Amino acid sequence: MKMSKIMPRRMAIGALAAIAALASAGAAFADEITGAGATFPQPVYTRWAEQYAGQGGDTLNYQGIGSGAGVTQIINRTVDFGASDAPVAPERLASQNLVQFPAVIGAVVVAVNIPGVDGNALKLTGPLVGDMYLGRLRMWNDARIRALNPGVNLPAVAIAPVYRADSSGTTNIFTTYLSAVNLPFNTTIGAGSSVSFRAGIGAPGNAGVAGAVRNTRGGIGYVEYAYATENNMQTPMLQNRSGQFVRPSVQAFAASAAQAPWATAPNMAASMINTAGAANWPIVSATYILLPKNPADAERSRKVMQFFDWAFRSGQGAVDALHYIPLPAAVQNQARQRWCQVRSGNAPVWNGCH
Amino acid sequence: MSIAAINPANYARRRIFSAFMDMLCVLAAMVGLVLLALILLTLVQKGLEGMGLNVFTHAMRNTPGQGGGLANAIVGSLIQTGIGALIGAPLGIAVGVYLAEVGRTGRFASVVRFVNDILLSAPSILIGLFVYEILVVPHAPFLHGGFSGMAGAVALALLAMPVVARTTEDIIKLVPDAFREGSVALGARESVTIIRVVIPAAFGGILTGILLAVARISGETAPLIFTSFGSYGWSSDLWHPMASLPIAIYRYAAGVYDEHHRLAWAGALIITVAVLMLNIVSRVSHYLISKR
Repeated sequence: MKMSKIMPRRMAIGALAAIAALASAGAAFADEITGAGATFPQPVYTRWAEQYAGQGGDTLNYQGIGSGAGVTQIINRTVDFGASDAPVAPERLASQNLVQFPAVIGAVVVAVNIPGVDGNALKLTGPLVGDMYLGRLRMWNDARIRALNPGVNLPAVAIAPVYRADSSGTTNIFTTYLSAVNLPFNTTIGAGSSVSFRAGIGAPGNAGVAGAVRNTRGGIGYVEYAYATENNMQTPMLQNRSGQFVRPSVQAFAASAAQAPWATAPNMAASMINTAGAANWPIVSATYILLPKNPADAERSRKVMQFFDWAFRSGQGAVDALHYIPLPAAVQNQARQRWCQVRSGNAPVWNGCH
Repeated sequence: MSIAAINPANYARRRIFSAFMDMLCVLAAMVGLVLLALILLTLVQKGLEGMGLNVFTHAMRNTPGQGGGLANAIVGSLIQTGIGALIGAPLGIAVGVYLAEVGRTGRFASVVRFVNDILLSAPSILIGLFVYEILVVPHAPFLHGGFSGMAGAVALALLAMPVVARTTEDIIKLVPDAFREGSVALGARESVTIIRVVIPAAFGGILTGILLAVARISGETAPLIFTSFGSYGWSSDLWHPMASLPIAIYRYAAGVYDEHHRLAWAGALIITVAVLMLNIVSRVSHYLISKR
């Protein structure tokens, strides 16, 4: 009896001491800033974060939870910044007291898994891909696909479309493109971050779609290009607005990005989808960062701006390595101007505002 | 009724039926065992593939090929589970002692017992959402909110508490009334009887309950997604987002790089082994304490 009387107390003290030791051991390594949202730019944001911290900058904790969830979290003010590929509407920015600016440009590609077929050599068109997601095009050896690909031995395998299960900016970019080139798609499904596809299965995040396509015979999905290259996925050519079949490549993305109407776009939401030009990849988009205009902790908001200021100046290497497209210098300066709307009291938080 | 009265044909039919049902039971058990073996086999095989010293010595890295590990997630899980148990276990013990010794069959005790049972079976994601709304969403300028390891620990504490309360009540009910009567006969007050006689007698069982609760919360993912959020770096500041093994697995399994997929398997193996060890420790300690 005597032993058991003392034991609980001794154990509790031991446990407390262990926890305290653990907690104090790493207290110096605390995260400085937290961001959440889009998975489309996650590879480049996280590589920026690693390089920035490596050069003595603040640490950034970026969690890819999807664009929709990222917008929700910044509206709830639970993170220092939100990230979304789908630009937030001007009224919502105003009512939620948010500033929006683009951070980087990327491309959405179609990825396929067709047994016995070199997907990289396959030719597809927006109307055909749209019909797959409408459930109107069901077999890979359909006459319409064969007509575009003479000499390719397309198997009698069912087409298995994969889409994003979460509210996704990548879905918004992809469906905006399909709505522009496929009229039935536009009228029955339409463009949006969370739409009701008529065929296929859902998977979470860009990586989830990539994984599902890799594991599904006859699978087809849409992902940011970095996810396709990192997973060695096969990405068919798409026919662009000028009628040319183009391979996904940084050059083709840059050609589209060069035509973005930055000067006239409200809230910097310049569309680069389905642009005209023989070399243009048809599905290119900027991805956006959301900051509160009235941050509860101005210091952390300033650190977010310092991070993106550094990324604009020194992030080119990561952008190139992951096949994203940097913003033009003039647009970066336009973004810095936006930061001046973030205020603490009456003074701008960003020190480049005068 | 004598044995001779049994109809032999009837008896044979019953025996066949009985053998048939026995076979079904064995079959059902086999299906469960085979599935469990397959899961464990895959887990061990894939987990060992991703295992290495770096898993325990290095923090997670966003980009592959840099020798990233899971050390920050392991430490984060230890901190959050530890604090969760430190908050949840005393509360649970208090509730259990109240139900078994003080409230007993009273109306209020019945309500508490009912609510505790509901809490026990509540989906853990609801607990996560609850803590998110209370602690993570900022409510006032002085309540900054934000994702934090502390919010994660509170969510885990809310999951551990009903488990501990339930096992504590059950185990204290097993303490013979003779102990209480003896204590009262010696002139001890009720509080003294509970603290110095009943709880020590039930200590082994209570400890087992705590260890089982820790085993339960150490693998929880859903309540942490909404609270401690996860992190890729060292984040032992309790008021910032904090890494944990379940979230590391969740994010890495759905990650873009193969190296991250392998680390996710390694993390799953670590959690499984840890939970297994906890279960073994709870059994052994229960055995040792009850033997003494």
